[in-house]
Amino acid sequence: MFLEIKQLSKSFQNDLIVDRLSLSLDQHRTLSILGKSGCGKTTLLKLIAGLETADQGSIRVNGEDMSGKTPAERKIVYLYQEDLLFPHLSVRGNIGFGLKLQKIPASDIKEQVDLMIQRLELQGQGDKMPHQLSGGQRQRVSFGRAIITNPRLLLLDEPFGSLDVGTRQRMQELFKELTALYGITSLFVTHDLKEAILMGDDIGLMKKGSLQVYPDKQDFLLDPGTGVRSEIEFWESLLKPNY
Amino acid sequence: MKSKPAFGLLFFFLLGLLPFAAALVYALLYSLGIVGILSEGVSLAYWHQVLQSGELLGSFLYSALLAGTGVVLSVTLALWISMGLRTSLQHRFWSLLLYFPLAIPGMVASFLSIQLLSKAGFFSRISMKLGWIDRLQEFPDWINDSYGIGIILTFVLIVSPFFVILFSNVYQNERIAELSTLAYSLGAHGKQVFWQVTLPILFSKTKRIMILYFIFLLGSYEIPLVLGQESPQMLSVLIIRELKQFDLKLIPEGYVVAVAYTVVIAIAALLVFRRREVQVHE
Repeated sequence: MFLEIKQLSKSFQNDLIVDRLSLSLDQHRTLSILGKSGCGKTTLLKLIAGLETADQGSIRVNGEDMSGKTPAERKIVYLYQEDLLFPHLSVRGNIGFGLKLQKIPASDIKEQVDLMIQRLELQGQGDKMPHQLSGGQRQRVSFGRAIITNPRLLLLDEPFGSLDVGTRQRMQELFKELTALYGITSLFVTHDLKEAILMGDDIGLMKKGSLQVYPDKQDFLLDPGTGVRSEIEFWESLLKPNY
Repeated sequence: MKSKPAFGLLFFFLLGLLPFAAALVYALLYSLGIVGILSEGVSLAYWHQVLQSGELLGSFLYSALLAGTGVVLSVTLALWISMGLRTSLQHRFWSLLLYFPLAIPGMVASFLSIQLLSKAGFFSRISMKLGWIDRLQEFPDWINDSYGIGIILTFVLIVSPFFVILFSNVYQNERIAELSTLAYSLGAHGKQVFWQVTLPILFSKTKRIMILYFIFLLGSYEIPLVLGQESPQMLSVLIIRELKQFDLKLIPEGYVVAVAYTVVIAIAALLVFRRREVQVHE
């Protein structure tokens, strides 16, 4: 398994946020994690990224133990809920930020950034500053900035939560295209049922710090605890003639 | 609804711009010998006199050097305090302590500096008690000295708290903590985060305030009046000295210095704001 997490726990003061959580994920696959606010989704991602320290448990990526490694050493990129862009850098500067840190020659950075701008459908926007972009464009830049560094693992924390329906749909399609193109392995956290089903190759449900990963999507759809059945019943009730 | 902004502009023009413009025109006319009790008609003699003497240029360079050094040291100190002691500054006691120097008037700060830094002052006496010097006279000249050390230290005392507060607010408003975490996640190390994220964001958001503070210090009066030397003098001190001299025929020279100073600062300010417009779209 590419990502293996065993018995991971984290408490803040006396609150147990992540409770002996285990999961595994193959390379080049996306695991959707569905969960309500406060269930520990964000903390789980921050533990994997090295932005928080676990109380116990282990995280291994491609067989390598991540304990004691700094976020920079892990090569795992955590994508915020919001489209957090560096305000002093242009679109081009933001996308190329991670490459610049790796001290890649400027000509190579330019080439890769230009290609990414094209793939993100941001042609002609490269020299704009973050405050001159729309929400969807900002999110695309944020996404491209993470992918271009070719991370071992991409962690997405409700990345499209603030977007309108149309933009969100387009971003979901773009995410699928680019993760397939770059062979990205990712964890996609969301509280949106439909998005969880659409985005993940595998799917899991997180409740009170524990995660249940389903063997396949059918099992997820049939589990009453996921809310899929009640959602279907709601829409079917709308279609009944005497409603 | 539209009359409100128009009224505001008129108010600003009448109370803000008009008196300043009138004073500048009066100073210009005075410097050209057109007005004044002993005016002898239009003449560029006062301008020639001031520009040839070199005192204006010397004073300008001296003022710019002291103001620039004051701003650079204040910004550096404020950066160190605001970034290094970020958690401590959230405590009420430390934040109150920080606000305190902002309430000290320039004149009081100057006398405080004399009490602390002069040869008979606090640090001199402490140094003698500790055996670092044998006599008070051996303590270095920091007051009315040729390098303006007393002036610069007093500038730092009154300006750095403002920058600490400014940097702390920008740090929070621009969410630099989260951006730093993001940079770490993208592979940055501690120094890279500071030089490529924290510092550029703080500077890009505060650079115009730094320039305005430089202009403010360039024209400061009380501190260089009390702590400065006879020559060269900082601009405001030189202007007042020229305007108050006994020979009434030489008063126009004071207005020459005042007009030249105002024009240079106005042009510099215009350039700064013009550059801002261009940079937004870079």
